[in-house]
Amino acid sequence: MFIDFFYKLKDAGIPVTPTSFLLLQRALENRLIMNLSDFYTASRAILVKSERHFDLFDQIFAHFFEGAELPDEQGFEIDEMARALLDQWLTDPKSVADALGVDESELSKLSPDELIEYFKKRLEEQTERHDGGSKWIGTGGTSPVGHSGTHPGGMRVGGASRNQSAVKVANERRYKDYSRSGPLTPSSMTEALKRLRNLVPAGPKDNLNVEETIYQTMKNAGEIEIVFDRSLKDRLKVILLIDNGGYSMDPHIPVVQTLFNYARSQFKDLKTYFFHNTVYDTVWEDPSRYKKPRPVIEFSRMDPETRLVFVGDASMAPYELMARDGSIYISERSGNASIEQLRFLADTFPHNVWLNPLPARMWPYTRTIGMISQIFPMYELSVDGLESAVTRLMAA
Amino acid sequence: MSVFSKTDRDGFTGGKKYVLDDELARVVNISMSLEMPLLLKGEPGTGKTMLAHAVAENLDMPLIVLNVKSSMKLVEALYQYDTLTRLNDSRFGDSARDVANIEDYIKMGKIGQAFTADRRTVLLIDEIDKADTDFQDDMLDVLDQMEFDIIEIDKTLRAKHRPVIVITSNAKKDLSDPFLGRCNFHHIAFPDPKMMRKIIRVHFPEIDSNIMEAAIDTFYRLREIDVVEKKPATRELINWIRALSADPDFRPKQLAKGEVPYLGVLFKKSQDYMAAADAGSPQRKRLF
Repeated sequence: MFIDFFYKLKDAGIPVTPTSFLLLQRALENRLIMNLSDFYTASRAILVKSERHFDLFDQIFAHFFEGAELPDEQGFEIDEMARALLDQWLTDPKSVADALGVDESELSKLSPDELIEYFKKRLEEQTERHDGGSKWIGTGGTSPVGHSGTHPGGMRVGGASRNQSAVKVANERRYKDYSRSGPLTPSSMTEALKRLRNLVPAGPKDNLNVEETIYQTMKNAGEIEIVFDRSLKDRLKVILLIDNGGYSMDPHIPVVQTLFNYARSQFKDLKTYFFHNTVYDTVWEDPSRYKKPRPVIEFSRMDPETRLVFVGDASMAPYELMARDGSIYISERSGNASIEQLRFLADTFPHNVWLNPLPARMWPYTRTIGMISQIFPMYELSVDGLESAVTRLMAA
Repeated sequence: MSVFSKTDRDGFTGGKKYVLDDELARVVNISMSLEMPLLLKGEPGTGKTMLAHAVAENLDMPLIVLNVKSSMKLVEALYQYDTLTRLNDSRFGDSARDVANIEDYIKMGKIGQAFTADRRTVLLIDEIDKADTDFQDDMLDVLDQMEFDIIEIDKTLRAKHRPVIVITSNAKKDLSDPFLGRCNFHHIAFPDPKMMRKIIRVHFPEIDSNIMEAAIDTFYRLREIDVVEKKPATRELINWIRALSADPDFRPKQLAKGEVPYLGVLFKKSQDYMAAADAGSPQRKRLF
């Protein structure tokens, strides 16, 4: 049973296993699952093993079972419409207010529940005019489920509620925030920071653990067994190079800076420099790239163990990267092509990564991204990307 | 066997300081009847550990807690061969134990205790993510087979009763796939305000509802601050409300005005504290 459902989950990219599916069958056989809500909970607990995939699961569940076993289909339809209304209200309160014929400020005082109640009442009153469809009902079905906006009254829509049918629960998409793909936002900061916490050094195993040695020696019937621990190593130095030219980068810079600043205490030293598009002879310590220039050549004097982290979209005209006078700033044209400077940095600091806020699927469309990713291992600026980047930085 | 039938739960949410939602109750029941360990994840302070206590209490089973530590070896959780005592006994020979019999010097670890117990127990394996992957995989093997070998005496110990296993993880590390494959999984979401009111009611049956509403409002507002690294959890809220109710000078109006007394109870990191202090007072007024 539910083989289609299983494969739908699999196709969507949730790592489901046949073993767990068989287990679900056992649960069904044992009559542990009596209704759709039970099935929702059970199949999620058994098949899905990470809260990251809960959101996807919810979507597929809703898609698969929508209308399949719903005694109150009428109610569900109204709910869908109400949700569409709610969505529109979030993005454009004024038009909804106009359509309902009330003042916008009055509407914003209602809580979402009250709004839906109000809306349902209106809908029941005017069933006969329903077909004509006023503007906002017409747009209803097309609006995707989701609550990205903020509601005028300042409340968040969504969240768990009791006594609903499983499809409705699934439709709420309560686990949206746990999804780990997509660019880093302030709300995923905590998760990202946990990944960054792994950026700590591990020394060689050369500290004698006396107690453990005694214990193991005893265990070994007196034959001496020496146990070593990892010695603590000095903390890491990190250089953060941020591309802060161009509007494409603007939303990401504060996030990255806050992130690394929060982790600052775990580093021995954290230096942040700025550049525009790509690195030529100089980088700047000030975000305006004017007051405090720092010649790139000086980097060669720094500790080669320093971890180098680039943050940039790596998108520019190819000549900016390849030509010897490629810089868009006349004063920077010293004769070294930018790509040479990047190679120099990559050679100086063998532990390096490039974090790109553009989604990875877009990378093949920009030539310079390909060229730069041959020099620096490139990762998406997302929680997952950061995790891989940290692993890469810590690899010996 | 069903843990949380309707009537049970009602009595249970009342006095015993644990508020359970339906979904979680279903997951617990299913895991028990499928005899699968239940893996619980969720933010700190959402009551992962408390659940095992609640299950044990409700089923009237003894609870055995294995607190996982980062340096832990699997064998420590199973049994320990007390070599030092044996050496001591062999030299001085003044104990009732038989030095020739190694079995006398095998002490059961927490998992071993759960296996050898005379009745069914609840085994809580707390913060599994602290240990390394090998530990986790090997442990799941043991829990899957319900038996382990004691190498020193070449004996296989089988579980007398299959314990109810609850495993918690703080998600610092991702657990390995084989591990996940052998557990049922549930993620405890942070309680919404409605649930939170219930929780607070259970902990403070006497509380003035003005104080409670104002405190919960402020609490959720403070949790919304983006830059905060360690968001305050239920535990912090309960302590904070305790602090507020203990203060004779406190008035719920203060919270509405944006003053937040005892901010230190909610925020334990200095950066977070500063951020919350800034955001807490709209007038950017210093609180201290």
